[in-house]
Amino acid sequence: MKSPFGRALASAPEGPHRLGSMQRLRVPMRQYSEKETVDFLVVGVGSAGGVLIQRLARAGFRVVGLEAGPFWDTERDWVSDEAGSHQLYWEDLRITGGANPLSLGANNSGKGVGGGSVHWAGFAPRFHPSDFRVYSEDGVGADWAITYQDLKPYYELLELEMPVSGPAWFPWGDPHGYPFGPHPMGGVGNALIRGCTNLGIGVSAGGPVAILSGSRGDRPHCIYRGFCLQGCKVGAKASTLVTHVPDAMQNGAEIRDRSMAARIELGKDQRVTGVAYYDAEGQEHFQKAKAVIVAGYAIETPRLLLNSACPGHENGLANSSDTVGRYLMAQAGNVILGRFEELVRMYKAPPAHAMTEEFYETDRRRDFARGFAIQTVSPLPISFAKHMMAAKGAWGWGMRRVMMDYNHWAAFGLLGEILPWAENRVTLAAEKDQFGLPVAKVTFSLHENDKRLVEFGKNKVMEVMRAAGAQEVVQEQRYAHLVGGARMGHDPRSSVVDGFGRTHDIANLFVCDGSILPTQGSANPGLTIQALAARTADYLISEAAVIFKSNRRHLDRPPIRRHLSPPGTHGRGVPRFGHLRAT
Amino acid sequence: MNSMDSMESNGTERRPLESATGKPLQPMAQPGYYQGYSTLAQQGYWDAATRAVVLERLQSVPPIRFFTREEARLLETVCEHILPQDDRDFAHRIRIVPFIDRRLQENRIDGYRFEDMPSDDEAHRLGLKAINSMARELFGRDFLELSWLRQEWILRQIHDGKPEAAQTIWKHLPVHRYWALLVQDCVEVYYAHPWSWDEIGYGGPAYPRAYMRLERGEPEPWEVKETRYDWKAPSAALSDPSGSEGGTH
Repeated sequence: MKSPFGRALASAPEGPHRLGSMQRLRVPMRQYSEKETVDFLVVGVGSAGGVLIQRLARAGFRVVGLEAGPFWDTERDWVSDEAGSHQLYWEDLRITGGANPLSLGANNSGKGVGGGSVHWAGFAPRFHPSDFRVYSEDGVGADWAITYQDLKPYYELLELEMPVSGPAWFPWGDPHGYPFGPHPMGGVGNALIRGCTNLGIGVSAGGPVAILSGSRGDRPHCIYRGFCLQGCKVGAKASTLVTHVPDAMQNGAEIRDRSMAARIELGKDQRVTGVAYYDAEGQEHFQKAKAVIVAGYAIETPRLLLNSACPGHENGLANSSDTVGRYLMAQAGNVILGRFEELVRMYKAPPAHAMTEEFYETDRRRDFARGFAIQTVSPLPISFAKHMMAAKGAWGWGMRRVMMDYNHWAAFGLLGEILPWAENRVTLAAEKDQFGLPVAKVTFSLHENDKRLVEFGKNKVMEVMRAAGAQEVVQEQRYAHLVGGARMGHDPRSSVVDGFGRTHDIANLFVCDGSILPTQGSANPGLTIQALAARTADYLISEAAVIFKSNRRHLDRPPIRRHLSPPGTHGRGVPRFGHLRAT
Repeated sequence: MNSMDSMESNGTERRPLESATGKPLQPMAQPGYYQGYSTLAQQGYWDAATRAVVLERLQSVPPIRFFTREEARLLETVCEHILPQDDRDFAHRIRIVPFIDRRLQENRIDGYRFEDMPSDDEAHRLGLKAINSMARELFGRDFLELSWLRQEWILRQIHDGKPEAAQTIWKHLPVHRYWALLVQDCVEVYYAHPWSWDEIGYGGPAYPRAYMRLERGEPEPWEVKETRYDWKAPSAALSDPSGSEGGTH
């Protein structure tokens, strides 16, 4: 076939560590000896860990990040291929059970520097102000130990640092705009706009998504190839691997990859002394630190705390409340698929492309609390075939036939708020991993409010798909975005950490990741996780001297350190519309 | 059962039929509605790492190491039901079992196991045992000796979650989870192959060149227009509710 675009490509020459098609990592990285006691040891270099380490290093602290997976060279390690990208996901064994067992693996946590932000779709909406007061407003779930106003400055910072592309006017929650322009529409985004418009539902097109719509610094714009969930080789989609880790290294942080944390050690004075971990060869090491921050996400964080049980803490570290591992949440993530007479080719353009939060808040006319969002999803062929198996019972010639129609289908996702329940939890299983560490068991069951929400939400998304013009509409019940498991709260009897992520039980042990969320809203959690990390960093920087030497706890709000953003991400801020709000 | 007994196993009954004439479709190098489209023809525009991964998949079929010879033969036939390829000529059929075998041999899992399920490798072994036990209990013969329609009928029971035999095995192997494991493993292999991308008109790898026709499902300059043909599943198939009038039992 003739080609309009010049010569074919040869292999890239061996060279420096590449992050995307423009960014090069400067080596060598600073390396600390295990005999040294570093200031902060962060377990997990993912969405939260990456942001946290970058700020602590820029503020001049000696920081080491332990990461279970590899330090990716995106040009060498990542592929533009669905089946070839399994290594990005946490695929070590976990046991899943309960009445509605969650599929784990590719669907949630990542393994490798950047963590889940390497394979997230990139939807980056804020939580609504009501999300922080769910118990006060609706009598269900829990209140956060902080408010929306506490987090708002950090939302604005991270929307610039990632940065987030989207419409100039985002009307839901606290209305605001986005610093980078929205992306051009593809087939599936157009279908959502059409369906919503025909039903009179407001819709946000072209974001909010943490993918560059124009080049910035050493990161290029999106090329619309649709492989966001397989790692963005382009470097256009934000992951902490490309947004924060390079600046962290530039400022003296060490990222120790292929290092699997085994347990946090406790000293005689009831303060943690460091973390024991295994290297890639299975050798055990110990890194001493003045403070430890666990950022392993909603399964590995509780698992590490539980695996760190020791005399006096038989139920696990920081678990005097018996809350570690509990109140685990996943969002309802039903995938609704519709077949159109015309071609859609949904794989082109980012899967995270258009959304509506029209149904986000509690509506007293419905028979359940809280709400949901509707978003585009665009499964590649293998995922689409699995959806067809689940949603249509497709197999044999039926599978071959429906797959031949792949280009005629569009897919929307429900994103529904499931409430936190004590019985939905992470515990330790009898099985052990390759290092002899007990693996996590995840138990998950829907409750009445959750079931009603899923039923209503699923039907609403199907209605939108039909209104978009689909003749056949089917759906599969799924879940997405694990959070909770080490929740924040004011009361040490019912929560694991305070509003800054410090464990109630141990003065120099912190948790900083999605596991501290008390409720989850129906917004994708990635932006909130990174905003919380930036806030925890400001607190740690202000309080470091106290944290390193004493058990005293201050809960004063730290100053917002805008100068710690990675260079080149500063600006006047993101658009605010408070002055325009209707009276 | 009479209609089932009357089915001959001469091969033609396994081929899908042209809707207009009812005649079996001639096996093709490339089934589907995008004749002349080739993702591999674009490999010069793929990045080197992607090209290596996709070509390795195409060029080196792994040897069977996990399954016994008998298990592999049985699974081959089962996979011919899960993803039949009788509309493909022999030179363009996509090998599935060797890649499932390699996954199990290398103990590559999806990151979880349902608490009521055995491990993936054990589940595959048990499942094959159950399939053959069903054949023996229901028809007194091994699965591989049954007519295509009878084989299809047994698999359809597993698909429906209502196996009428081999209960002692299904007690330890939740039938719907086994079916999902089996189908997922098959589609993971088939739809990872560039020939299947040509078949369904999927763009394939796209870094660094990108796509430029985002709207209205338009083809890229190197793609072709969709040209549909009407076909129905062979009469001995029970797997295509939308396209087959055959397969009564």
